[in-house]
Amino acid sequence: MKKCLKFLLILISALSLFFVSESFAQSHPRFEQPLLITSAGQSADVQIGGVLAKRAGLMATLSKNATYQELADKKTLALVIGVSMKGLGAAGLDLDQEKTRVTDLIEEAQKKDIPILCLHLGGEARRGELSDQMIRAFLPYAQMVIVVKSGNKDGLFTQICTDKKISLLEVDRTSEVQEPLKSIFAPIG
Amino acid sequence: MTRRDLFLIPLFIFLVSCQPQTLKVLEPPADHHQPYDYIGKKGMVVAAHPEAVKAGLNTLKRGGNAVDAAIATAFALNAAEPFASGIGGGGFMIIFLAEEKKATVINFRERAPAKAFPSMYLDKDNVQDIWRKSHGLAVAVPGALAGWVYALKKYGTMNLKNVLESGIQIAEQGIPVSPTFSQINKDEYEKILQNSGESSSYLHDGFPYEPDDIYRNPELAQTLKRLISHGWQDFYDGQIAQGIVQAVQRNGGIMSLEDLAQYSPIEQSPLRGTYKDYTIYTVRPPSSGGLHILQLLNIIAHWPVREWGFNSTLYIHHLSEAFRFIFADKARFLGDPDFTVIPVKQLLSEDYASQITSRIHPGHLQASYPYGRFDKNQIEKENTTHLGVIDSQGNIVSLTQSINDFFGSGIVPEGYGFLLNNEMADFSPYPDSVNSPSPYKRPVSSMGPLILFKKDMPLLVLGSPGGTRIFTSLTQIIINVIEFGMSLDEAIEAPRFFTYSSEGVAKRLFVESRIPQHILQSLEEIGHMIEVREAYDKYFGGAQGILIDRNKNVLYGGADSRRDGSGAGY
Repeated sequence: MKKCLKFLLILISALSLFFVSESFAQSHPRFEQPLLITSAGQSADVQIGGVLAKRAGLMATLSKNATYQELADKKTLALVIGVSMKGLGAAGLDLDQEKTRVTDLIEEAQKKDIPILCLHLGGEARRGELSDQMIRAFLPYAQMVIVVKSGNKDGLFTQICTDKKISLLEVDRTSEVQEPLKSIFAPIG
Repeated sequence: MTRRDLFLIPLFIFLVSCQPQTLKVLEPPADHHQPYDYIGKKGMVVAAHPEAVKAGLNTLKRGGNAVDAAIATAFALNAAEPFASGIGGGGFMIIFLAEEKKATVINFRERAPAKAFPSMYLDKDNVQDIWRKSHGLAVAVPGALAGWVYALKKYGTMNLKNVLESGIQIAEQGIPVSPTFSQINKDEYEKILQNSGESSSYLHDGFPYEPDDIYRNPELAQTLKRLISHGWQDFYDGQIAQGIVQAVQRNGGIMSLEDLAQYSPIEQSPLRGTYKDYTIYTVRPPSSGGLHILQLLNIIAHWPVREWGFNSTLYIHHLSEAFRFIFADKARFLGDPDFTVIPVKQLLSEDYASQITSRIHPGHLQASYPYGRFDKNQIEKENTTHLGVIDSQGNIVSLTQSINDFFGSGIVPEGYGFLLNNEMADFSPYPDSVNSPSPYKRPVSSMGPLILFKKDMPLLVLGSPGGTRIFTSLTQIIINVIEFGMSLDEAIEAPRFFTYSSEGVAKRLFVESRIPQHILQSLEEIGHMIEVREAYDKYFGGAQGILIDRNKNVLYGGADSRRDGSGAGY
């Protein structure tokens, strides 16, 4: 009897997990692999994006400073938004040059019908005047936005995503981005 | 008003003035940017983390002197603020001994390994920044532990075990991660990942720590315990030394066991300068910070800064021009004094200050500044940490230390839990520089821990991290206190600015966004290219200070909200 109950519980849990992730997948856009992960602001958060994609088993190319040509064989553009002056300095870019680079990528993605996924992984610390400039400039082009909750305390992401009808997902911790990433990408082939 | 009132009012005032003076201690404000002075009567500790402050204060309360408390605070910082300093790094401290009325400096700056050579960062004439920053070649021979032990043995009263306890406890029990820690951890993620891997003790399950996570470092706790059980020399000639050399060489470095065994700190006399009727004691080259603060103050003494007003257009413009001249000097003259002659006397002369002030024009920028090639990589650094302690006898320690970039080289000797510095990046990569790498040479630093005296009595203990902004920020704080009459923490929190020159050319003027728009506009009209940073940007440092008010017999502590600065008095 006990064994049956245990089996039933496991079955129910597995089914609910399946339905939750199915409903999550249905309520959010689907993206295709391979994807190009790049930064919008040159913060090291782009590296976190790379590790998350690796752990989610995605076929991804991480290129902090990607040019629009690198989109040639890609099916998704993932922008990890967040400004780091140090990162910009290391890349030999100023904020305007970085904006131009990202704008070029977005224009190319639009030309090729490549959907854009925006990630804000740095939380509250990765907000501020400069990061907000990038958020306001580039978020409206996204099909979906995933944000670590503390970065959306003031509701900026909610506001832009509501206005532009963009699918928004909030997670509590950076590491929690991994599961939704698995769900929103269609398997290869 | 009746006759009776005329009698009662002076009587009331008299009675109030006869009340014993009590200190009104307010709770720190919820907004940590709001200026708040910590208050003490007997002793005070200020540092970049509250747990480190607690470690220092407990040491004072247990009968330790300022040196004991400073070293306890330094070990605690290694556990609580590991990204900015630790036994894998180095620094400078200035000690004031109240009874002897003597100030002395301990230079525990890292130095280059024996196999270092001037062109070691060039590959076919191209500078290899990765070699300088996140490679085994970036690691200089650490001096922190040797310097702390030297100070403790010569000027302290406690043994190593006593001053290590808090550091071990913090490393074992952990601390809640602050937003500052988390942000820096995220900023340096790539380097940590590359050199320590996803299982690093400086990552949380392979990702950066989030605010309020608990950060523990059991490996560091074991290392600190080992210093007690096997002696601190184990770090320089024992098992820990072997771990360091293996880690450095595995990452392509050239440090040897002999380099570690031969390291020793240097005790030297402080550098002395004056501003009006104040005297400043600070550290000598190879730290440039102290020298440049004194140069700046010499120049500012020529100007009616009080009349111009705090952060007025004239004030920011004139100081910015002075910064640019001084950066030219930094690039031309500053190196390790054991290897090059630095014209310190000339740079600090009244004549030299007059020459510079005469070249600064109120209406425009200079066409050029005396030529000097300045390493652009020095500009983005926000690293390092500062602590200050005063004890009940009036002994003082002002200590600035670093592992250079935040999280240093990102290299952690396996199983030991501490970060190795990337202080070799403070050398110039250009072989023709006075600050190029050579065997056993110490790289130029920007640190400038100082003690400011008025009429031979200590008034202000001050220091800051912030790379090349250290001397510009500390000078602004000093002027805020002396000329603009701010309280210590008001002076620390006040909006800052920074600029420099390179190869004779004026660079952008970086400002905190709290500086009003109309001032920025007028600065642009003069010719400055402005770059606006965050309102409270740790780019401009994270200063800590103690102000000694002898009239009220009160110690005021100021700690910078740009980082996790904290203070406590008793």
